[in-house]
Amino acid sequence: MRRWSLGATLPLALAILWEWLSRAGVLSEDGFSRPSRAAAAALRALADGTLIEQTLQTFSAALLGLTVAAVAGVLLGTLLGLFRSLERATALTVDVLRPVPSVALIPLALLVFGFSRNMSAAVAAFACFWPVLIITIAAVRSIDPRLIEVGRMLGFSLRERIWKLALPAATPGIFVGIRVAAGIAIVVTVTSEIVTNPRGLGYGMIVAQQSLQADLVWATLLWIGMVGWLCNWGLACLERRCLRWYWMARPG
Amino acid sequence: MQSLAAFFSLAKPGAPLSPPVLEASAISIAFGAGAAASTILADASFSVARHEFVCIVGPSGCGKTTLLRMMAGLLPPSSGEARFNGKPIDGPQTELAMVFQDYGRALLPWRSVADNIALAFEARKLPKASHAALVAPLLAKMHLTEHAGKFPSELSGGMQQRVQIARCLAQEPQVLLMDEPFGALDAITRHELQDEVARLAREEARTVLFVTHDLEEAIYLGDRVIALAANPGRIAEIVEIDLPQPRKQLDTREDRRFLEYRHRLYKHLEH
Repeated sequence: MRRWSLGATLPLALAILWEWLSRAGVLSEDGFSRPSRAAAAALRALADGTLIEQTLQTFSAALLGLTVAAVAGVLLGTLLGLFRSLERATALTVDVLRPVPSVALIPLALLVFGFSRNMSAAVAAFACFWPVLIITIAAVRSIDPRLIEVGRMLGFSLRERIWKLALPAATPGIFVGIRVAAGIAIVVTVTSEIVTNPRGLGYGMIVAQQSLQADLVWATLLWIGMVGWLCNWGLACLERRCLRWYWMARPG
Repeated sequence: MQSLAAFFSLAKPGAPLSPPVLEASAISIAFGAGAAASTILADASFSVARHEFVCIVGPSGCGKTTLLRMMAGLLPPSSGEARFNGKPIDGPQTELAMVFQDYGRALLPWRSVADNIALAFEARKLPKASHAALVAPLLAKMHLTEHAGKFPSELSGGMQQRVQIARCLAQEPQVLLMDEPFGALDAITRHELQDEVARLAREEARTVLFVTHDLEEAIYLGDRVIALAANPGRIAEIVEIDLPQPRKQLDTREDRRFLEYRHRLYKHLEH
């Protein structure tokens, strides 16, 4: 509880400073609005359902993209982590594709999926895939060779060694990759909505901006931050549940 | 009962009546190639009879762990052949179980004690419903019952090694290969586990090949001791240990013959 109140001090102080600067006329109201108005706009948008609807749009697209990326990244990362030759064979492809900015894929995704949730999800999936892939490769590669020997002595097949030994041993690393990717998923989804896709929170902000509603832009912006924080917290809880053994073995 | 056991243990050494369970014939191993190649172990031949407890002792760098890994099928020899029941060992097989020295690395940290042991039942494709009933007697045998639900990281080193031994027993192997299993434990725990492994080997009639750098441990546990010398690693001497069974930590170690074996073998451990 103390940690929470400590963490909340800075945003609260910033909000008060912002409100005061705005009322004093230092910050232009056209651009900066003020916290009280943003809060009121947020309540209005919550009440008429638009904010919730947009959140569900954005969140479902981000989650879909993240899920596709996580499944593909963990699967491929495990294979590339286990087999050096496979990694060498794919290294060039990975190195060429990875620096492509995900936003640059929006035109292509638009051609393939049209204006839809899948379009945002596809772009998010592309962006999320790389951190999951690379962290999974590293995690699988750093598995203690002794564990694999234990698997061989027990007579496990390759598939069983992957499933019962390599994957569980790599979970702490895989979780790191997925948490990094979750942040990216929301960023990229909102970006695609701002740029083209007429749906979700990003589009909501564009509409608010075009109708000169600075308070709603701010409200949506802060809302996105809160949703992102909530997602991260949810993942952290999940991680603590799944990786009890991991944190138990590490004091402090 | 004890005298009976002593009788059998006296009858056991000498020329093995049954064909050997494990055999090494002239196995050598070298790492590296060409001029940079270094011979780790040269021309080692020995055999282990059914139900025999054989200890391999040697100074560090003599290749004793490498020798055990070759017998386990984890490492192919450069030349010569390792055989199990007369057949060449070309890879790990479930009839040979390996107890690694580094129990902390050999246990699955994400599985409870019971689930770590059940891993062997999963490997044997036994129905999941039967695991609990099969794990229970092993837990009891290794004095782990009250720790069944704990993670390995919650246990002491000695307890973790008990879990690994239990998992190897769950494999129901003919042969237990043990690689300095007690090397990292304190003296009291080590003695305790020595007696337990000796008892298990006797009661369950397992064949054991036990690697150690501790000469007294080798003499205390072994029906026979294979002493290796270093640079390059080679078999220096193989000695039958004629001490009454079951061995006792105080009596056996004070036995005149125990000290004679120690004198006789000690020179091989010096560089």
